Amino acid sequence: MNLIEVKNLEKIYENGENKTVALGGVSFSVEKGEFIAIMGPSGSGKSTLLHLLGFLDRQTAGTYKFDEKQIDEYSEDELAKIRNKKIGFVFQAFNLLARASVYENVKLPLFYSDIPEEEWDAKIKSAVEAVGMSNRLTHEPGELSGGEKQRAAIARSLVLAPEMILADEPTGNLDSKNSEAIIKLLDELNRKTGRTIILITHEESIAKYAQRFIRMMDGKIENDKKI
Amino acid sequence: MTGLKTHKSRSFLTILGIVIGITAIILVMSIGQGAQDLILSQIQGLGSRTIVVIPGREPSGPSDIAQVFSDSLKEKDLNLISRKENVPNAEKIMPIVFGGESSAYGNETYRATVLGASADVFDVFDIYPAKGIPFSESDVRGRQAYAVIGSKVKTELFGESEAVGERIKIKEKNFRVIGILPKKGQVSFFNFDEIILVTYTVGQDSLFGIKYFHRFIISADTEENIPKVVEDLKITLRNSHGITDPEKDDFFVQTQADLALRIGTVTNILTLLLVSIAAISLVVGGIGIMNIMLVAVTERTREIGLRKALGAANRDILRQFLFEAVILTGIGGILGILIGALLAFGVSLILSKALGLSWTFSFPVFGAVIGFLVSGIIGLIFGIYPARKAAQKNPIDALRYE
Repeated sequence: MNLIEVKNLEKIYENGENKTVALGGVSFSVEKGEFIAIMGPSGSGKSTLLHLLGFLDRQTAGTYKFDEKQIDEYSEDELAKIRNKKIGFVFQAFNLLARASVYENVKLPLFYSDIPEEEWDAKIKSAVEAVGMSNRLTHEPGELSGGEKQRAAIARSLVLAPEMILADEPTGNLDSKNSEAIIKLLDELNRKTGRTIILITHEESIAKYAQRFIRMMDGKIENDKKI
Repeated sequence: MTGLKTHKSRSFLTILGIVIGITAIILVMSIGQGAQDLILSQIQGLGSRTIVVIPGREPSGPSDIAQVFSDSLKEKDLNLISRKENVPNAEKIMPIVFGGESSAYGNETYRATVLGASADVFDVFDIYPAKGIPFSESDVRGRQAYAVIGSKVKTELFGESEAVGERIKIKEKNFRVIGILPKKGQVSFFNFDEIILVTYTVGQDSLFGIKYFHRFIISADTEENIPKVVEDLKITLRNSHGITDPEKDDFFVQTQADLALRIGTVTNILTLLLVSIAAISLVVGGIGIMNIMLVAVTERTREIGLRKALGAANRDILRQFLFEAVILTGIGGILGILIGALLAFGVSLILSKALGLSWTFSFPVFGAVIGFLVSGIIGLIFGIYPARKAAQKNPIDALRYE
């Protein structure tokens, strides 16, 4: 069953007279449980695509079906709900709250969920355990290494058990040793729990963990191959 | 909340405007209340059945003091209103004259308030000599140069030594001290510790050299009869002065109830005026809050983007920033209430200890509740614009923000 179906997806930024085509008609579909790496030079539209897939932005043209439903049928509030429930984001810059502990950071999505508060603690702890950070619960981001920060961020993306994890260059700020640890963690999440993962990366060594590669160029898919 | 904690000193500076505004409001309200209580308690010292006739026309406002200089209340008027057929429900009628005069005993001098009255003065003000005796109605008629002195006058002139029976000089005239009043403080217009009571006859002739009176103080037989007594007094005095048009009265009659109401109104207006000035600083404080919230919204653009990516709906972001603004101003309000109450308490201590006024500290509960609510509302009003700005940020632009 297809989790995602995208047809002729376009995103055009208009700035007065200037039109910038960030995404110029992209079509593909994603099945549940796939692990996809999106590659391509900067400006090729991969981040824009990821943002559209993650409901952070709306397309200019084309259709996006998620879970059999058209995205345009959702209201802003419903989109917020889907981001909360179904999608976990992992960013290159981690985006952790600086003055909050790992525990507090992982708690963040729960604030916006309808999960009763008494279940929060268990969910936070199991998410943190899944990334091997149980010994760092009370640490603030400033006290963590880059790899640990990204683990905390992955724990945050996992806490509500989303269908899909979207990772925008998750290893971009990490050294090779930490990068490998993080991609292994994502790989494990994909294989053990069957979570759909779509990640953007520049690095072949990271991309090789995926089962499918989408190469983008100038807002279009240049190449889409499965292993 | 994390944003507030991150910038503790900035948050504090931001709410300073609110703190100062609420402090000022609480202080003004507390002092206003204290002043009103003090004045009212002094008026009530005269008794609620008391009616005062004052020469001159009724002042039309606080700055209208023309009436002070009138000499319209004469001996003839006193005789007329003293007749039972004219004012049947008057129980006591007392004329008074007063003024500041220097008094001396040996080398000691003291500037006292000299009050010339009839022998009813002791009953009317409910104060009797602690030592010695009061003067009598026959002393008044016999123009005896007797003086009953207040406790402070006694200490200033005599120190610890015996005063009753001694001769003092008031305005170079000899008086015999026949009584000493107990410590009493302020009653109505007079501080009885600093007073010298003499008979009005001697007061008029020897001290002030006048043929008129400064006040008639009348007590009605019952409270219900006060309006009737007031009406009888007016009719009698108008007849005596040949006045047909009440607009042209050269005297006015004031009851204690009137006076209380009038003073209450004046202090309320003053308090309101000062409170509204203080309220301006609340608006300024509110603008400060708005400014800092706008800065915070910009600074925390990435955080807003992140929260939206993690599932925060617009109303969640709106609520968060509004909540922070209200918490800020609410804390400001509470601080202001505490500081204002402390300052007001300090002022009441100074006024009662250093100046000897019977000033009571009153915590303006109403003011505190309103102050707290207003500061919260300011947070809401001035927080809504920044909060809406935050809520409407596009998540992706917010996440990309550097």
